[in-house]
Amino acid sequence: MIDPVFILIYIFVFPGFLFLFAYALFLSYLDRKIAARMQQRVGPPFYQPFADLIKMLGKEVINPHGVDWRIFDAIPVVALAAVMTAFLYVPVTGASPLAFSGDLIVVLYLMTLPTIALFLLGWLSRNIFSAIGGIRAVTQLFIYEVPFFLALLTPAIMAGSWSISEIVLWQQHNLWLVFLQPIGFIVALIGLQAKLERTPFDIPEAETEVVAGPWTELTGRRLALMHLTTEVSLVVGSTLIAALFLGGPLLPWTLSPAWLNGACGFGLFLVKTLAVLLVLSSITVATGRLRIDQLNDIGWKYLASAALVQVGIVLVINYLWVIP
Amino acid sequence: MSVLREMIENLFSRPVTILYPWTKVPIPDTFRGRVANTDELCIGCSKCSLVCPAQVITMIDGPRDVEFKGKNLARKKRPQIDLFKCIRCGLCERYCPTGSIHLEHVQGVTGTDRDVMVT
Amino acid sequence: MPEVVVPIGPHHPALKEPVNFRIIADGEKIVRLELDLSYNHRGIEKAAEQRNFIRVLPLLERVCGICSHSHATAFAKGIEEIMGVEIPPRAQYIRTIIAELERMHSHLLWLGVAAHEIGFNTLFMWTWRDREAVQDTLEEMSGNRVHYGMNEIGGVRCDLTTAQINAALSRLPVLEERIKKYQEMVNSEETMLIRFRGVGRMSKEEALKYGAVGPTARASGVDYDVRRDDPYLAYPEVPWNVITDTRGDVYGRTRVRVGELWESTQIVRSCLENLPAGPIRVEAPKNAPKGEIFSRYEAPRGELAHFIRTNGTDKAERVDIRSPTLANWTSVAMCLVNQNLADIPVIVAAIDPCLSCTCRMVVVNQKSGTTDMAEPGFAGDPGGRRYRGRP
Repeated sequence: MIDPVFILIYIFVFPGFLFLFAYALFLSYLDRKIAARMQQRVGPPFYQPFADLIKMLGKEVINPHGVDWRIFDAIPVVALAAVMTAFLYVPVTGASPLAFSGDLIVVLYLMTLPTIALFLLGWLSRNIFSAIGGIRAVTQLFIYEVPFFLALLTPAIMAGSWSISEIVLWQQHNLWLVFLQPIGFIVALIGLQAKLERTPFDIPEAETEVVAGPWTELTGRRLALMHLTTEVSLVVGSTLIAALFLGGPLLPWTLSPAWLNGACGFGLFLVKTLAVLLVLSSITVATGRLRIDQLNDIGWKYLASAALVQVGIVLVINYLWVIP
Repeated sequence: MSVLREMIENLFSRPVTILYPWTKVPIPDTFRGRVANTDELCIGCSKCSLVCPAQVITMIDGPRDVEFKGKNLARKKRPQIDLFKCIRCGLCERYCPTGSIHLEHVQGVTGTDRDVMVT
Repeated sequence: MPEVVVPIGPHHPALKEPVNFRIIADGEKIVRLELDLSYNHRGIEKAAEQRNFIRVLPLLERVCGICSHSHATAFAKGIEEIMGVEIPPRAQYIRTIIAELERMHSHLLWLGVAAHEIGFNTLFMWTWRDREAVQDTLEEMSGNRVHYGMNEIGGVRCDLTTAQINAALSRLPVLEERIKKYQEMVNSEETMLIRFRGVGRMSKEEALKYGAVGPTARASGVDYDVRRDDPYLAYPEVPWNVITDTRGDVYGRTRVRVGELWESTQIVRSCLENLPAGPIRVEAPKNAPKGEIFSRYEAPRGELAHFIRTNGTDKAERVDIRSPTLANWTSVAMCLVNQNLADIPVIVAAIDPCLSCTCRMVVVNQKSGTTDMAEPGFAGDPGGRRYRGRP
């Protein structure tokens, strides 16, 4: 039976919510700093995302006329709770103690909730810009969801398990999946960029076209929580890609003192998620925004077909290796 | 491709931002800054007041004996300029016969009193 | 979705200045456009009737910040022609240098703003960083980064020293290298191509019919540039080319403007190296004889026209400014129909709108409850022109 004190510390302190918030703010700072340096600017200081959060929590909450303020208060909280829960199942220093078979599906579902939340916010604000932005968010969800899920399910097929921690363990005994499934890795990275609604896929929030899309009528603590949701999604997304493709926090061999093993695993976790963040930041800086119908073209023609090809290859490899 | 290469080069080089106010911005010596009048040279001809496009220069009482081109003149008036209404176009400096009214090479002149007058 | 009215403006993050587009959209396609341009009206044409020729030039400079030298030079050129005053060649060359430097800073600004409208903020940061070199040169020569104040009736206000010329010449190679990089970027950067190609296409006949001017028209194949076809200042003596393109869409306009950037660096280099010696101004008479003149100038945005009527006093009787953006708005209203909602900022930014130059009066009709934007008649024509999209 697992020690309840251990579980509580795991959930709330490390690597639970406290560590999650600290890491989310740190990754947000690094993202802005890397983007700034690539553009030859200075960029914000390290405490900037934390200062933004405190400032927004203290601002006035404005309720537009005729809008149901109770739903507006609840939706950002639900979105934040969903991504925070998703973080409990991804491996940080080793296998997650809360892992169970099928937690990959749960994590993917929980990560979809912020997009639905944005759509609801856009639809319920009585504002033409928010409505257009909300509809664009859901359209984008339909376009990138199929290739993204397919690309993230191929590691499960190859490892033979639906639990993220067991996929990581499988990679410890065999090769990292990025070498066995390179197409899937690229599709997963592009799909993650679209899920996080960053350039070139920041279509719902396009500042020069629809003011701020579904974010237009959010103020004060609602905006702070929604912003924090985006930052936490970045952490969960990069941890997921690091776990499924780059081998997660496990070395190919186990070190003898248990605490050294945990510390090395944590160090590997940091290095791998920072590498994924570097790639995502570079994509953000190097491109402009697409139009939603162009995203439709690209998503279905190239991304979905690449993901299907990857699934086909994985099924063939599994058949050849398992049967003879 | 050129975008990617430039991005990576920029990552390893210094940013171009000038960190004002810790670093001073270089100001050329033709810069048109705050307007000022040198009382010893002014002969009170009112040319500056006549050419000012924004009409911010008024002539007030200011008798003084000034030497101009070898002659001693008894000046009667001198200019008073509304500092924060001046548009710093430089016409007064261009048409002044003695060079007494001029634009200084200082940047970022600020204040809290809207009706500051410079004489 | 049924037809909805999407109000772009007067306050909107896509616009740098207030203008009111009421877009009637069906889903993401635009059906109709209604345009209202009167938010920046300041009464400058009326104020110019009360200032004599020395005091009116700083006022006309402040019609617009980006094309300030254009307005001042067009007016000064017109008055000098009425008076019959011939300015010395050194002054012509100095005016040309400042004019071409202004064109460079305006086109670099436009390139950054166009990239920002499609979310490509990196190019925005880079082009504005390179624009700083042009602004530093202008600050050394004239004393201010905008509103240079170089013009007087009869010449220029201040001279260029050898140190300033050498400093400007030393900055030019860096700018030329960066402009070559931008030409390559515009031709090969995928997201720019995919957002700019095929958007807002206007054929040559439509450009001529709707009166488009400047790079907007030259991108549709209209081979007209006031610097070549109605020459002024030092342009006949300096070798340069007119850049045209046949595509007619936003990508064509981008290529024309980047090409003009390169031509401007060559003109500036040629003028700086061959600056004639001599005086920089002549004494101009105080009063202008009675007459009317129509003075044209190629501003960075297109053909700028000043109509000036004088009546023998030291003030102009009537100044009418037809700025290039005013001529280009009809083409925007025409190009936007049947495009995507997401293309509005791109098409509007492609004509390089400068609302400060454009604004005219608004006519409020209390009896019928309508607010129309009318333009008072030009050169005696008492008609009013109304700017609305297709009915």
